[in-house]
Amino acid sequence: MPSSTLTNSPLLSWLVGYESKRKQLLKKAPEGALRDFLSVPLPDLKTPIDKVNILAVDFETTGLDAKQDKLLSVGFVALKQQQISLNSSYHQIIKTKEQLQESNVIIHHITDSQKEQGKALATVVETLLQALAGKVMLVHFARIEKQFLTQACLELYGMAPVFPMIDTLALAKRRLDKRDVAYDPSELRLTNLRQNFKLPDHHAHNALNDAIATAELFMAQMSKANKDGKVILKDVLL
Amino acid sequence: MDTELSEISTFIHNIPPFDSLPKQVLAHLVRELTINYIRKDDSLPPKGISEPRLYIIRKGALSCRSNDGELINRLGESDLCDAFYHSNGIEALSENSEQCKVYTDEDSLIYSVDVSILNDIGERFPSISDYFSQNSAQRLKSKMNKVNEEAILSSTLMNTSVSNFYHSPVASISVELSIQEAAMQMNEQGYSCLVIVDGDSPVGIVTDKDIRRRCVATGLATSESISQIMTTDMSTIDIKSNAYDALMTMTAKHIHHLPVTKHGNLVGMVTVTDLINNEGHNAINLSSIIHKADTLEELKEISQLLPKLQIRLAKLGSSADHVGKSVSAITMAFTKRLIEMAEYKYGQAPVPYAWLAAGSQARQEQLAHSDQDNAIIICDSMKPYDDAWFENLANFVCDGLAECGFIYCPGDIMATNPKWRQPQKVWHNYFTNWVETPSPKALLNSSVFFDLETIYGDASLLNEVRKQLLSKTQNNTLFIAHLSKNALNLRPPLGFFRDFVLKQNGKHKATLDLKHNGIAPVVDLARIYALSEGISAVNTIERIQQAAGTPSLTKASAENLIDAYEFLGMLRVEHQAKELISGESPNNYLSPKEISKLEREHLKDAFKVIKSLQDARQSNY
Repeated sequence: MPSSTLTNSPLLSWLVGYESKRKQLLKKAPEGALRDFLSVPLPDLKTPIDKVNILAVDFETTGLDAKQDKLLSVGFVALKQQQISLNSSYHQIIKTKEQLQESNVIIHHITDSQKEQGKALATVVETLLQALAGKVMLVHFARIEKQFLTQACLELYGMAPVFPMIDTLALAKRRLDKRDVAYDPSELRLTNLRQNFKLPDHHAHNALNDAIATAELFMAQMSKANKDGKVILKDVLL
Repeated sequence: MDTELSEISTFIHNIPPFDSLPKQVLAHLVRELTINYIRKDDSLPPKGISEPRLYIIRKGALSCRSNDGELINRLGESDLCDAFYHSNGIEALSENSEQCKVYTDEDSLIYSVDVSILNDIGERFPSISDYFSQNSAQRLKSKMNKVNEEAILSSTLMNTSVSNFYHSPVASISVELSIQEAAMQMNEQGYSCLVIVDGDSPVGIVTDKDIRRRCVATGLATSESISQIMTTDMSTIDIKSNAYDALMTMTAKHIHHLPVTKHGNLVGMVTVTDLINNEGHNAINLSSIIHKADTLEELKEISQLLPKLQIRLAKLGSSADHVGKSVSAITMAFTKRLIEMAEYKYGQAPVPYAWLAAGSQARQEQLAHSDQDNAIIICDSMKPYDDAWFENLANFVCDGLAECGFIYCPGDIMATNPKWRQPQKVWHNYFTNWVETPSPKALLNSSVFFDLETIYGDASLLNEVRKQLLSKTQNNTLFIAHLSKNALNLRPPLGFFRDFVLKQNGKHKATLDLKHNGIAPVVDLARIYALSEGISAVNTIERIQQAAGTPSLTKASAENLIDAYEFLGMLRVEHQAKELISGESPNNYLSPKEISKLEREHLKDAFKVIKSLQDARQSNY
């Protein structure tokens, strides 16, 4: 592949550039959590996927619009050498001023009273950034986590960080697209993909459960795609 | 937040021994879990893991194989894999961590936890450390100890008054007598315990143990007063108390005799044996009704009660041994009564004889609806024409038993078969032939005759045959080898895989044949021990007990084997009670779905115990 095509593709240029972007941002970052996060180098793109330190993350939100809607809860768990350690797991409800709509309560089972006991957004994002430093973020359907984390950082620190992501939905979609057969988009749901891999049923819409469920799905996807151990970070990065 | 990791907690909480952990400790354990996804045809432990860990299968299937590739076990969802509990299978430190290799048969999602975490938890919760540090035999033993305790507690003792079974008058002597006089009275009356009275009021109690410990061992003169060695702070129980209280008092104070009082006056004595045997009274009552029956019709009516008795005994938590003995005693009562009726009808027997029970009835291990196995041994002085009388007897009794629900023996091992209605000398020849020229086929057919008991008549006829038989078998290694080979054909399964029974060859089936794959192998082993060691007992537990400590069987193995046998027997009795209650005819086929996960583990332990003793037997020949 000629190098001109590489730089011409905006996605690929972003990929190649995330480590230099991190260094750039580090210079401007204010003292504190964001600066600490940016000061840890990110893994090399050529790292075999088994060796990449990953943090599976899930957000529960009041809606899809990061500018209007609010983060309700954050869950994450570390995936190291294709192994989940539950002692790295974290789940936190966020205290926001906004009243919850009934439909949200039904989906996330987070009530206003629970939310009252939650922690401030700043504390939760700080914990997340600490855990995420030097790791690749793993999510299912990247848009939510990407936009909401970016938005939160803008509000809290006045600037958006750079964070490389792996999206299990995108990985599944790539496989389905390759087959060149029409498919129902619902096949890409976390629950349905897990069923295809014969993974156990999980209680969806709890941020930590979903993060673990996503990490398990990713391990299953890699066990299929990475039989020869040749998959590197670049191959799976969003 | 309480929903945190709640799914995984719930999953772990359903797996013994973790079901015994309080919520907080469980939550701690869950946080220490790691999760791996291991693809099909890979192996455990996952790459990069060298420390000892316990693996828990969340989804998928594993198989454990010995170093030479033999299947040891298959594991499915919710099963624990302790193959790497002590090390990574490199060296086996205990029987638990058998040297084995573990492979994934399917893509598997596997939880695991570092053993050091379990050890920490085990320090505060011994149920955890016991579960993993004990081997199959030890786990089975603690289970059976618990079962026996429960059996005593759950029995009807609560509802029974002491007045129902104390014995009276109580053996008592005056406080003025000497130790020697007390001992003499014990001997005369056959008591091991005397109440010491001053006038009418009890002042102390003396057992034969007291005489040993406080008199003989200390060198006290036997001419001293009995008051020197009696226990004065004697516990008593009021006649209005229930039997359960009596048992609790005795258990708490470690005493076996409890004087019973009425308005403070001594009226009798109750013993532990009285309490435990109390349940057997149903069987004894039934036997006495049978004895009084005058017609076959009456006997038939009584026989309808037999399944009910078995249900009752099972519900009371009686051991299989107890149920077997009770049911066998009743079959014996039926048989005796029928023989008496036949003797009344056909006149006295022309020569002495003995009616024999064979198989499970002889071993006192019969359950309701068993088939009949019987034979007659006749005094050698019989004349050929005498057989007509014995044929009449055999037909009358066997038909009568069949009427009472004991089906004819499918193998025709009955006194109606002329082959099994013979004078003593022919029986001598039968056994000599079986022992001296054993063929596997003949042995299989005739092994039922190695378990014989006299039901009625002249017991010396069988005793003489048995004595000669045992002297022959004891030294005949060829015979024992043939017998062993036959017996070892029946092997217990490996364990369970999902809701199936896992057989030695790795195949599954839906049900476990408790009789052929569990109980019969133990019965066979016990018979081999008895014949090799010249033991005349026929009951399986008695055979094992008597063989304990002989070259055939160590004491420890004997205890393990009895635990395994009693556990299997208990499952069979419970299983059959369920079927009898629902009006079905009882069988021996247990579905793994019928029993709890913990019971499956205990069954697996029982299989292991049996298998290891079978293997030991096999390597002997």
